[in-house]
Amino acid sequence: MLNDFINQFWPSTVGGLTVGAIYALIALGYTMVYGVLRLINFAHSEIFMIGTVAALFTVTEIFTVTSPYTGFAMIGMLLLIMAVAMAASGGAAVLLEVVAYRPLRKKGASRLAALISAIGASFFLQELFALQVIPNLFDRPEGRNQVGVPRIVERDKLFEIFGATVRLDHVIVIIAAVVMMVLLDQFVNRTKVGRGIRATAQDPETAVLMGVNIDTIVRTTFLLGGAMAGVAAVLYVVEFELTVYNVGFVLGVKAFTAAVLGGIGNLRGALLGGFALGLIENWGAIFFGSEWKDVIAFTVLVVILMFRPTGILGESLQQARA
Amino acid sequence: MLLEIEDIHVHYGKIEALKGVSLQVDEGEIVTLIGANGAGKSTTLKTISGLRPLTSGRITFDGKDISKVPGHKRVLLGIGQSPEGRGIFPGMTVEENLHMGAYARKGDLTKDMAEVYDLFPRLGERKKQAGGTMSGGEQQMLAIGRALMTKPKVLLLDEPSMGLAPMLIQQIFKIIEEINRRGTTVLVVEQNAQQALSLAHRAYVIETGKVVKSAPAAELLTDPEVRAAYLGGDLAVDEAANDTAVDTTPRNGQD
Repeated sequence: MLNDFINQFWPSTVGGLTVGAIYALIALGYTMVYGVLRLINFAHSEIFMIGTVAALFTVTEIFTVTSPYTGFAMIGMLLLIMAVAMAASGGAAVLLEVVAYRPLRKKGASRLAALISAIGASFFLQELFALQVIPNLFDRPEGRNQVGVPRIVERDKLFEIFGATVRLDHVIVIIAAVVMMVLLDQFVNRTKVGRGIRATAQDPETAVLMGVNIDTIVRTTFLLGGAMAGVAAVLYVVEFELTVYNVGFVLGVKAFTAAVLGGIGNLRGALLGGFALGLIENWGAIFFGSEWKDVIAFTVLVVILMFRPTGILGESLQQARA
Repeated sequence: MLLEIEDIHVHYGKIEALKGVSLQVDEGEIVTLIGANGAGKSTTLKTISGLRPLTSGRITFDGKDISKVPGHKRVLLGIGQSPEGRGIFPGMTVEENLHMGAYARKGDLTKDMAEVYDLFPRLGERKKQAGGTMSGGEQQMLAIGRALMTKPKVLLLDEPSMGLAPMLIQQIFKIIEEINRRGTTVLVVEQNAQQALSLAHRAYVIETGKVVKSAPAAELLTDPEVRAAYLGGDLAVDEAANDTAVDTTPRNGQD
């Protein structure tokens, strides 16, 4: 057992960081919306799904990619797919806010009503994509089956650490995720709109007294969270090479877990929570087998929350600077 | 008339919080609205700033009917507020909190910042401190300074004395007087009627959502009903207490 762990520790670490980076990017969307509206946007997993479909559409329908790219062509291609997926997910998130949440907010409905609306929107989007979008877009009679995504990044071995192979796709996923998170962090902490987001999270009424237009801030928050989910979607299809109408479900729950684990409302917490969750479930899988991954992840969540109910970093967007 | 409120009614759900409040504030004045807890003082200020919708009535500011203007746009028109409980952004530094006051406007802020630091030297010493870690008095100064950063024509102050020691209250009220002397109109809501009436030119008394009295502030200081309800007792008793209290030079009318 211990031997297994020693042998598989580094490969599991590489895998854990890769999937953790994707969790973290999705977690940002949950955490930002929660910070500003105290709403758990259950349909965020579908915003991610829409990003994967947009990425697939770009790869197969716009460019008809047949073999992996290399060098600058690959980077250019990735950036292009990301732009499309970010626009699709960001746009969908803004639309979701306008259709499903804003009317309730304007009427002063309870947060529970918004939560129900979020769950409804989640089912609606899944079924819409299974019944209409995926069959029509990719000319498939059955929209509920998995759709393979052609390989975009060659799985070249780059280097080894302690015997674990690190491939190009691992490095791309981790670097892209970290870069996006740094950019978002800088945006929230350094720009005027970012200051408006933090003010709204900390005290929405006083923010209005400062001349902050809450509707604009909410829209920006959904746009940013959606765009991050779009990037996550591209990294997901690069790494796992598939999508399906409910691809967001388990990933969404994991990312939400990551957000809670790090401290919901806290951007840096989402990063930490994402990587922690990815690592924990991969390391745990060495002992119990990979089919126990989800059990391990949620057991750890429950244990951590028992001792730190506000998550690892504890403070939230309302309190913290980030 | 800079600010005119005509017969405004405001509801929280089915409960009517304001049952026809009317009041006026002229340019250059300090006006106070006094009353007990829950009388509708804060609701009046929130409604002026557009945080609560009107059921009926009208608010005119600077000659314009602003009854339907959304809250965030009223700031640009010149209505600045230091809210109930101060509303400091706890995770932002003093400097960032002050910058928030200028969120809606463009242009160079260095001069305005310098002016706030001149009024409140204490804030200048703590530019990088997080708002949430400051003392109550410092937070009140920051809330007023931040409201000044909106460049208000009228400054709305919601209970600036709340939770502060007498010495600090003195200091805050002196600064409010100074702000007014420098040209800003002030509407201050207070439970501390003694202080507020000593500071203001005119005053309104609000009870359960209605204005029940309006007069020059100095008159209300000696009004038996007001004394009994808000100044803690009849004249004789209170005067004895005043002798031992710290000096609060009453102001009556214009300087």
